[in-house]
Amino acid sequence: MSNHNNGQEPLLEGRSVSKNFGGLAALHNVDFVLYPGEIAGLIGPNGSGKTTLFDCLSRVQDITAGQVFFKGVEITRKKPYQVAHMGLARTFQVIRVYPKLTVLENMLLSRQWRGEGLLSQLRPSHPDTEERARQLIDFLLLDHLIDERAGNLSGGQQRLLEIGMALMPDPDLILLDEATSGINPTLIEAIKDRIRQLNKEQGKTFLLIEHNIQFIADLCSRVFVLNYGEKLAEGTPDEIAENEAVIEAYFGT
Amino acid sequence: MAATLSLTWRRYALGRWVLLLLVFLLLALPLPQVLIPERRLVTDSLLFSFTQMFILITLASNWNLTGGLTGYVDFGHAVFFGLGAYGTGILMGQPPWELWPEMLTGWNFWPALFIGGIVAAIFAVLIGSATLRLKGPYFSIAMLGTFVAMRELVRVVRPLTGGGVGLTLPPVLNRPLFYYLTLFMACLVVALMWWIRRTEFGSTLIAIREDEVGAEMRGINTTLHKITAFWIAAFLSGLVGGIWAYQNTYIDPDIVFVPTRTIDMVMMTMLGGLGTIAGPVIGATIIYWLRDVVWSNFLLYHQIFEGVLLIIIVLFASEGIMGLLGGSSGTGLGRLMRKWFRSTSNRKQPV
Repeated sequence: MSNHNNGQEPLLEGRSVSKNFGGLAALHNVDFVLYPGEIAGLIGPNGSGKTTLFDCLSRVQDITAGQVFFKGVEITRKKPYQVAHMGLARTFQVIRVYPKLTVLENMLLSRQWRGEGLLSQLRPSHPDTEERARQLIDFLLLDHLIDERAGNLSGGQQRLLEIGMALMPDPDLILLDEATSGINPTLIEAIKDRIRQLNKEQGKTFLLIEHNIQFIADLCSRVFVLNYGEKLAEGTPDEIAENEAVIEAYFGT
Repeated sequence: MAATLSLTWRRYALGRWVLLLLVFLLLALPLPQVLIPERRLVTDSLLFSFTQMFILITLASNWNLTGGLTGYVDFGHAVFFGLGAYGTGILMGQPPWELWPEMLTGWNFWPALFIGGIVAAIFAVLIGSATLRLKGPYFSIAMLGTFVAMRELVRVVRPLTGGGVGLTLPPVLNRPLFYYLTLFMACLVVALMWWIRRTEFGSTLIAIREDEVGAEMRGINTTLHKITAFWIAAFLSGLVGGIWAYQNTYIDPDIVFVPTRTIDMVMMTMLGGLGTIAGPVIGATIIYWLRDVVWSNFLLYHQIFEGVLLIIIVLFASEGIMGLLGGSSGTGLGRLMRKWFRSTSNRKQPV
């Protein structure tokens, strides 16, 4: 499966991305390509730079050197909201919901924004937006909490809400950062099915950071491994499982 | 569930009737003396007190738009009040500068007031584009600096502002006029805030307060939203400044740019509840009358009362009266600051 993208334009591409925090090189010359329609995984030991790479690709952080392209357009200097308008959505490792707003309001605010003027926002949310929000809330089994403030939800429920917020704008590319941590196994299966379904039926592209290797193995056609800010390996889940460098990075020698 | 819902609804409907009744009572208060000049239901000084209270309610509500809803705690908001006062004052009065065009003096109150508000709004867009990039206490301090700098600037630009000597406006002694004008402003601003909170724009402001990075990543142009909230608040405070200047008939830097004016707005909003619509109204009303009573009875100690009240709010009701009542989307100053410290301690600084 890893070769089916040959000749296709990449959806997201990082060219020699480097990121330094003071003297610490969090990322060093990482090349990264993601093709439309794939589900790819990003793994690596703690502190290997996974989340930093996510932040750099989604423009939450400025990169020190290198370039990032999304849909063939360079986004290295674009604002995060502009990247979001282009069709990129993500969740965060540290949960970022709006605690004082209700579950429904959180979802409504994550709607698809296309840079429309402020005047069009001087009204309550559009009924279609609300309809979509309610459907997603139902899917995530949060319907009994719809009017509850997000800050009152449990950690797992907040993570579900965040996934819903990422799905809400109907993006082309969804980055999920440890989306399944703290969520019960039944719901993880449901999320897995949903990701597969969105991928198959609508061609959505996913990039997942996970410590849950089973989750990665079940979903991903390609896996990237980061270690000490550098790309250690890339391949199908089976190839990665047998890669000695990866095993060494995870378990030491 | 259904029972609580209907109870909430009934409470809401009841609250609306009480509010309507209150507004009608306030409307009727100076009516006798408007109709028959010799008849008075209340004394002139009481009308004046109410006028001051309406001004404070309006200012606190304006401050709440940036400070409470958007979470940008502005310690220099009175600068917009001052700009409105001077904008109106210069257009209505007679600046000493000979080169100042004749056609820009001796204006009627209403157009002068409007331009005063516009001046404040334009200044808000300019200064906001710089200061709103700062977060937490940095923004607060930058706005305090702006306020002090503007006061000194007004003092220095003597030909236009009269400097320390001040400017005199055409005198008018019409208490009911100012009473109705300030009452109208207060109602207008509170209604506007109520409406904004119900629009998508209002929710985005709270989202920015709750998590600016998240809001930006989810497609909200946070800079545009922050600046818009900022200039709306500045415009309204500019209008209040203009009304105040006309009522006072005289302005100079030290009575217009009073540092405690901003502190009043912060304190009143904190007492009522940051980021709620009713909060600034409740807070301003309580503090104004409390101050009136305490001041007239314990002249020497009246500021101690306010200090103690402030400590009590911070310790026991961090989200103000509305926070104690529960169920509001408001916040507290402490929570805003904690949020800021948490976000900076987690942030790795790129070099």
